[in-house]
Amino acid sequence: MSGGRSLWSAGWARFRKNPLAMAAAVTVLALYLVAIFAPVLTPYDPVSHGDLPEMRHQPPSREHPLGTDKFGRDVLTRLIYGSRISLTVSFLAVTISVVLGSIVGSVAGYTGGIVDAVLMRMVDALMSIPRLFLMLTCIALFSRSFLLVTILLGATGWMGTARLVRGQILSLRGREFVSAVEALGAGSRRIVLRHLIPNVLTVIIVSATLKIGLIILVEAALSFLGLGVPPPTPSWGQMVYEGREVLLDAWWVSTFPGLAIVVTVVGYNLLGDGLRDSFDPVQFT
Amino acid sequence: MSILVAKGLKKYYRSQGGLFLRGRQLVRAVDGVDIELRKGMTLGLVGESGCGKSTLARLLLRLEEPTEGTLEIDGTDFFALRGRELRRARRKIQMIFQDPYSSLNPRLTAGSTIAEGIKIHKLARGADVERRVGELLDKVGLPRTAYSRYPHEFSGGQRQRIGIARALAVEPDIVVADEPVSALDVSVQAQIINLLADLQSDLGLTYLFVAHDLGVVEHVSDRISVMYLGRIVESGPAVELFSSPLHPYTEGLLASIPSAKPGDRVRVAISGDVPSPVDIPAGCAFHTRCPKAFGRCSAETPRLREVSPGRCAACWLHVD
Repeated sequence: MSGGRSLWSAGWARFRKNPLAMAAAVTVLALYLVAIFAPVLTPYDPVSHGDLPEMRHQPPSREHPLGTDKFGRDVLTRLIYGSRISLTVSFLAVTISVVLGSIVGSVAGYTGGIVDAVLMRMVDALMSIPRLFLMLTCIALFSRSFLLVTILLGATGWMGTARLVRGQILSLRGREFVSAVEALGAGSRRIVLRHLIPNVLTVIIVSATLKIGLIILVEAALSFLGLGVPPPTPSWGQMVYEGREVLLDAWWVSTFPGLAIVVTVVGYNLLGDGLRDSFDPVQFT
Repeated sequence: MSILVAKGLKKYYRSQGGLFLRGRQLVRAVDGVDIELRKGMTLGLVGESGCGKSTLARLLLRLEEPTEGTLEIDGTDFFALRGRELRRARRKIQMIFQDPYSSLNPRLTAGSTIAEGIKIHKLARGADVERRVGELLDKVGLPRTAYSRYPHEFSGGQRQRIGIARALAVEPDIVVADEPVSALDVSVQAQIINLLADLQSDLGLTYLFVAHDLGVVEHVSDRISVMYLGRIVESGPAVELFSSPLHPYTEGLLASIPSAKPGDRVRVAISGDVPSPVDIPAGCAFHTRCPKAFGRCSAETPRLREVSPGRCAACWLHVD
C-alpha cells in the first residue's frame, strides 16, 4: 500500500523551503555539536588556571583566538564548554516545564468544571509571582547546584504551556472526531493520549523552542547575579559577569560570551518561528 | 419490533449570565421527546436549525447527559450504564457526523481511524485488524489504497465514507446520521444516501436520519418525525406525512421545498424566524408563526397525541 503524506511530512517540506528557519536549525544543531565535541575542538582546559601572571587578560591572538580571562584561561575554550551548561540546563528545564504544563493543561482542558477552575486559578497565582524573585529565594534557601537551577527553571516556567495546552484541548474537544471516538467506546486516557495530544504536539514543540531562548536568558541572568551553576564550571552568564570589571581594558572577556547568548537565543527564536510557520495546525485545518 | 425507545427526553442548558447580566437563562434544547426506532427501519427527524435535533441525536448516543428521561437500547437501560459497561454498550449505536472535516482526526490515517473501534472492542487482533479494515473500505466504496492515507488527502464525500466505515467497524445495530450529506455537493449527496441505503439492506441497520431538508429525508425514511423548538410536533409514515400533513408546521416545511414545476407553489411557506429556545412561546410553541392559530393555541400547550392509526400530531386543530 502506498504511504500517505502525513501532516508531519507536509510541514517538514514547508520548513525546508524557509531559508531563515533552516539557517536557525543549522545554527542550533551546530551549537549542540560544539557542546558534545568540546574536548576535540580545543586543546585547553576550561577550568585550570594559567601558571604565569602575564597570561591574564591577553587580547585575542593566534594561540587564544578570543583572548584569556583574569585567570589566564582561554575564553574560547570556556565559551565552548560553557555551551554545555547553557544547552543542557535550558533543554532539561524546558522538558520539565513542557511535560508539567502539558499534563496540567490537558487535565484541566479535558476534565473541565471544578478541576479546570482550580488548576487554572493555581496557574494564575503562580504566574503572579515574579520568577526571578522566586528562584533567588529558593537558591538562597538551598545550596546552589546544577540540578537545583535546572529544576527551578523548569518548575517556574510551565504555566504558559499549561494555558496554551488547555486552550487547544478545549477547542479540540468540540470537534466531531472526539465525539466519534467517545461514541466508539474509548476511555478518556485513549481519547487524550491518542486523539488530543498528537493534535497539540506541534503547538507544544513550537512553544518549547521559543521558550528555550527565554530560559537561556534567565539562566544567564542568574549566573550574572552569581546564583547560577557554581564556579569554576564555565557558564556564559557567569563569564559575562566576570568580565564586567575589566570591560574597558579586556572587552573580549564579556563580549564573546554575550554574543554567544545572543546567537543562541536568536537561533532558537527563529527556529521556533520557522516551526510555527510550517507546522501550525491553523494553516491546514 | 422496537430496538430503541426513549421517553420524556429533556436536555436543558444553563446559558452563562455575563458579569453584568444577572440571572442565568435556561435553554430548553430538547424538551420532552419520545422517540422509538423500529428494527431495520429508518426514522427521519426534521426541523429547522436550532430546533434541538442534533442535541437529541447526541443524547441518544449519550454524548450528552440528559436532564431527564429514559432510554432503552435493545432492552438495556442506556442511561443507567457507567464506566466500562457503558463503553462496551456504546458499540450498539454509532453516529455519522455532519462535518466531514472536523469528524476525522487529522493525525490518523484512514486505516487507523477505521481500526479504532476494532481495537477498542478487541474485535480482531494482529493482521486480522488490517483485513477487516480492508473489507470495510470495500463496503463503503473506497479503494484499498486509502488505508495509509491521511484525511486531508480525501474529498468531502470520501471523508464521509471513512466516517461511515468507522461507525460500521464495531458492527452497530443502530446508526444515527446527523445531517450526513448537508455539507456535501449535491452530486455526492445522492451517492452517500444510496450507500447508506445499500448498507441498511445488507446489514439490517436501523437508522435515525437527521436533516433540516425534507427532500432528503423523504427519500430514505419509513417514518418521519418533525421537531420544533425541542419537541416533536408531528410523526407518521413518510408517505402519508408528505401527502397529507397534519400540523401547520409540517405543511409549511413541505411548502418550502422548491418545486420544479412553475406555478406549483400554491402553499404558503412559513414566515419569520424560530423563536429563541431561551424564550419559548407559551401555549403551542409554533403559534407565533402559525397561519391557523386561534385563541387556544397561545393559552394551552397541545400534547402529541394519536390522530389516526400510526399518525400523531401536537396541534389543537386535531383535537375533537
